[in-house]
Amino acid sequence: MRWQLRWTSINNAIRWFTLPGKLALLVFCLLVFMAVAAPWIATHSPYRSAGPALSPPSQDHWMGTDQLGLDVWAMILYGARTSLLIGMGTALLAGLGGGVAGIIAGWYGGWIDRLLMRMVDILMAIPRLPAMIVLAAFFGAGMKQMVLVLSLFSWAAPARTLRGTTLSLKEQPYIRMAAHHGAGLLHMLGRHLIPEMMPLLLISMIRLSGRAIVAEASLAFLGLGDPTSRSWGLIINHAVNFRGIYLTPYWQWWLFYPWLFLTLLVTSLALVGRDLETLADPRMRSR
Amino acid sequence: MDKRKTVGRLLTLWVILTLNFALPRLMPGDPFLHMSGESGDVFTTYTREQADYYRHYYGLDEPLIRQYGHYWWGMIKGDLGYSYAFKQPVSEMILRRLPWTLLITTGALLLSLAAGTLLGAWSAWKGSRWQDSLFYTGFMVISEIPAFLVGLALLVTLAAGKNWFPLSGAKTHFMVYENWWQQMGDIGRHAVLPILTLGLTRTGGIYLLVRNSLRTVLTKDYIRTAKAKGLRHRILMVHHALRNAMIPLVTRVAMQLGTLMGGAVLAENVFQYPGLGTLMSRAVTARDFPLLQGVFLVMTLGVLSANWLADWLYQQVDPRLKKNHARRQKGGVS
Repeated sequence: MRWQLRWTSINNAIRWFTLPGKLALLVFCLLVFMAVAAPWIATHSPYRSAGPALSPPSQDHWMGTDQLGLDVWAMILYGARTSLLIGMGTALLAGLGGGVAGIIAGWYGGWIDRLLMRMVDILMAIPRLPAMIVLAAFFGAGMKQMVLVLSLFSWAAPARTLRGTTLSLKEQPYIRMAAHHGAGLLHMLGRHLIPEMMPLLLISMIRLSGRAIVAEASLAFLGLGDPTSRSWGLIINHAVNFRGIYLTPYWQWWLFYPWLFLTLLVTSLALVGRDLETLADPRMRSR
Repeated sequence: MDKRKTVGRLLTLWVILTLNFALPRLMPGDPFLHMSGESGDVFTTYTREQADYYRHYYGLDEPLIRQYGHYWWGMIKGDLGYSYAFKQPVSEMILRRLPWTLLITTGALLLSLAAGTLLGAWSAWKGSRWQDSLFYTGFMVISEIPAFLVGLALLVTLAAGKNWFPLSGAKTHFMVYENWWQQMGDIGRHAVLPILTLGLTRTGGIYLLVRNSLRTVLTKDYIRTAKAKGLRHRILMVHHALRNAMIPLVTRVAMQLGTLMGGAVLAENVFQYPGLGTLMSRAVTARDFPLLQGVFLVMTLGVLSANWLADWLYQQVDPRLKKNHARRQKGGVS
């Protein structure tokens, strides 16, 4: 019953999407499919040289190869995994962590609120990318470290949003009544707060994952990535560092395809997020 | 000025400086023995000599309190340390490159302000529904795309494809300028693409803000009054509407300075522009921690002080704040 309810509400939500939003959702689903099915779609291994170096797109390598003879299409497929995993990991960690921090700050108030909001203010004042570059340079750039570093600089926004909502929900009569009857924070969370805030938190997490994907790609572009994993930013980094690439035709596949897929992913996430936001907006206004 | 705010700022400053001190000391294990960085095509490992150098450099053989004291004393003197890889004082290297970063960031800021305001105003007044929604979607997407993707697209189409602009650098190497104009022209030509890249990614936010706040302002009573007085359209729009709509812009621009700095790092690396961003990535490649931290510190302090300046400016611009010291209204009119 409940599941059915949710399914129809998802269906309804999609019906409200704008045309670009629908297209973006389709592109996003396609990219997710690529990431999941990477081992079955890829015709070559992304880790071993699979043909002559720098060969243009052909029947066998339909997105060409890079300077080591690695198949670009295979790297694109596995790169989708890296991007999406980092996006999801960061969104979960920073979204839930930041969300909990925001709810605690809003619910309890007092010194803990002041402390947490101070931390949020400080985090928001530091330029994100330079700080992440320094942290990634010091702590290494493996997948786990990357998610940690990204989350460290991402939890502030959801914390601030959810603190605001908690503050306004706290004044609602039904919540006050429940608190009067002795309901603790845990009961309140499970019963009232989380269901109320889920849409907001989800939108916040979509935005977080978009930002995380962009940040990971940017760091990889600057050479701060896990060299053993496949990442779109890292392919771009290798291509750009190839001497005189713009004077050769190589950029037409080696640089172009990772660029295209990164742009597609970021754009589709932005459009889906925007449509969801306008969907949630009237609810927020009515409050 | 608000006392609570000043405390907050000093606290932020202290946290950043202390974090900067703590980072090399927090690294897991013995940082300089096990660190082997791989970055791009450059592979660096620390030799025993280098590891000993860094340990001595950071004074890791001394008690922590004394290290902290030394650190602060150095900061007060403006000493950012010594770069091992480039054999130069960090502050000198930064000072040499700072003007280039300032050039492209201010250029991009001005460009995005002008373009964003004009387009936003146009969209709010004249734009038909579909034009408005086209602009809105377009700019929203562009502002989400990272600067290096935009930069690469411009580089490939305008510099490599059409040869209109140079591929990289800030000026032509080994060129002897005949006169001042020629030098300015050369520097300008090199700066166009980085500024355009950075400006484009920032225009979206400004466009959205101007458009939205202008729409709000246009529904206000004083606009109706001004209309009723029979003021000319242009005066009404510029003096009454746009001026008020632009007040929240100051805060927004200040809040996004950090993002601007991040974008500058990426744009500089796309065009190999010799500013702080390329210095930072060179420090990363060489695993030159003093240099990396020095650049980070200068960037952060720059952003923070610009933020404070903007706050002060905001109080000067907004007459409501000057008059009765009312509580700061976050977000202004919107």
